[in-house]
Amino acid sequence: MDSGKVKFFLGEVLRNFTRNTGMQMTAIGTVAITIVLLGMFLFVRAALAGAGAQLLDQIEISAYLRADATPKQVTAIAHYLEADRRIASVQFVPKRQGLAELRERTKGTIDTGLLTENPLPDKFRIKARVPDDVPAVAAGVRRLSGVDNVVYGQKIVQRLLQLGAVLRRIGIGVIGVFFAVAGIIIANTIRLTVFARRREIAIMQLVGATNTYIRLPFICEGLVDGVIGGLLAVGLLSIARVTLWPRLLEALPWAQLRAFPLDPRLLGGELVLVGATIGIVASWISVGRHLRT
Amino acid sequence: MISLRGVSLVYPNGVRALDNVNLEIAKGDFVFLVGHSGTGKSSLLRLLYREAKATAGQITVDGIRVDRVRRSRVPALRRHLGVVFQDFKLLNDKTVWENVAFAMQVTGAHTRDVMRQVPRVLDLVGLSHKSRMYPNELSGGEQQRTAIARALVNNPKILLCDEPTGNLDPTNTSEITALLQRINLKGTTVVVATHNQAVVDRMRRRVVRLDDGRITTDEERGYYYLGLRESQVLSG
Ligand SMILES: Nc1ncnc2c1ncn2[C@@H]1O[C@H](COP(=O)(O)OP(=O)(O)O)[C@@H](O)[C@H]1O
Ligand SMILES: [Mg+2]
Repeated sequence: MDSGKVKFFLGEVLRNFTRNTGMQMTAIGTVAITIVLLGMFLFVRAALAGAGAQLLDQIEISAYLRADATPKQVTAIAHYLEADRRIASVQFVPKRQGLAELRERTKGTIDTGLLTENPLPDKFRIKARVPDDVPAVAAGVRRLSGVDNVVYGQKIVQRLLQLGAVLRRIGIGVIGVFFAVAGIIIANTIRLTVFARRREIAIMQLVGATNTYIRLPFICEGLVDGVIGGLLAVGLLSIARVTLWPRLLEALPWAQLRAFPLDPRLLGGELVLVGATIGIVASWISVGRHLRT
Repeated sequence: MISLRGVSLVYPNGVRALDNVNLEIAKGDFVFLVGHSGTGKSSLLRLLYREAKATAGQITVDGIRVDRVRRSRVPALRRHLGVVFQDFKLLNDKTVWENVAFAMQVTGAHTRDVMRQVPRVLDLVGLSHKSRMYPNELSGGEQQRTAIARALVNNPKILLCDEPTGNLDPTNTSEITALLQRINLKGTTVVVATHNQAVVDRMRRRVVRLDDGRITTDEERGYYYLGLRESQVLSG
């Protein structure tokens, strides 16, 4: 290893980096903001997915049978349900049990003792493996003969699925814009450095330095911007997690948040990597445009 | 060492800077390119180090077909050449030593070679004692000697100079001229574009005259002005 070579190179990178401190800070700050937003988005998405999954988990499909359904039809329905791989569990609830459950649930509010006969039909209680499959499973069951009516929390399921999709789109849009802004600001910072060093670059080209070699210090500069921005963002997010997470749990008990929905260390590493990538890509493009002769 | 055959250069704005130029320069030659301002001297040199690309013709420099060289091979071509300009093109925030070493460092030279080679060329140009000074602490002649040291540090076989004495007073001019002659005596092929009559007439080397992008004369031991007699130089 030629330590003189390394020292010379690092010196050049450091000179670039300290030449334009204000612009450097702006670039780092924008990367940090972008990555904080990305981290928050990933957090909210994971939390919503967790809460949504819990809500959707409790959703069951009730397939009520016709009063005149023959035992043969009931058996056929049971076979059908057991064969469907999208279904996690099936339970037959005869009307007697249904009434008992109803009594249990409405204890003290409705006097079911007044009922002279059982108004409830027999039913199958079905749980889908994946919430997204609920509507399709329900539609399939509804077509079977002997089935009278199929009920599940249609509205809730649809709303939750829609909400998830909308949030995802808004989040991706906002973060996309911030990524573009961060990239442009880094590219601009590099452009200023390239401009400040145009004499050096001209001499390097004159004495036969390769484009890769000329590029390298600028790419490193972008990389440093991106990594520092990323580390800053991860630091801010960590502080937020330690201080805000317990309060969030207190403030939103109904949200059924339990564990922190992401692995903080893995996420931190990924976010710094994202910062590094923004830095490298932005500076690569920026220098490339100025080296073309 | 250098060969141009039927070379023309038309700039994007339509200016025809060179028109069907044929020129052969042998290894170890010393050649002056003379002619009025705007006749294409700089353009011809630019073609040789591939700063400009010939519109037509063949150019060979040290065995490399410069007219056809791929962009990725241009750095390799330039390591065969040293180039010196009127305005020195030194980096003001680097010392003499650093300016010279820079040309080696950015082409990936090993530090061991830098430490050996830089003192050698600084000695050759007579600047060993000023290696720690910055360009703005030097005279014009010393700055140009630094630039020449930088051009030579990678051991090129060819040295191209575009008006090397254009910014210098007569004393510094003769200093630089003497230095170029010494470099040539050590075997380096030297091409100098100049409109300095005194330099050309004192040296009595090969003179190639350009006029409006064409070579009009090519004399073995020439003067700046065509057909000038030795007696006239001595008396004038
Ligand atoms: N980059 C350029 N673009 C367009 N025209 C140029 C360029 N460089 C030089 N020229 C023109 O080409 C001609 C030759 O210029 P140049 O080679 O610089 O002459 P010299 O060095 O002999 O003074 C001139 O007419 C000049 O205006
Ligand atoms: Mg010129």
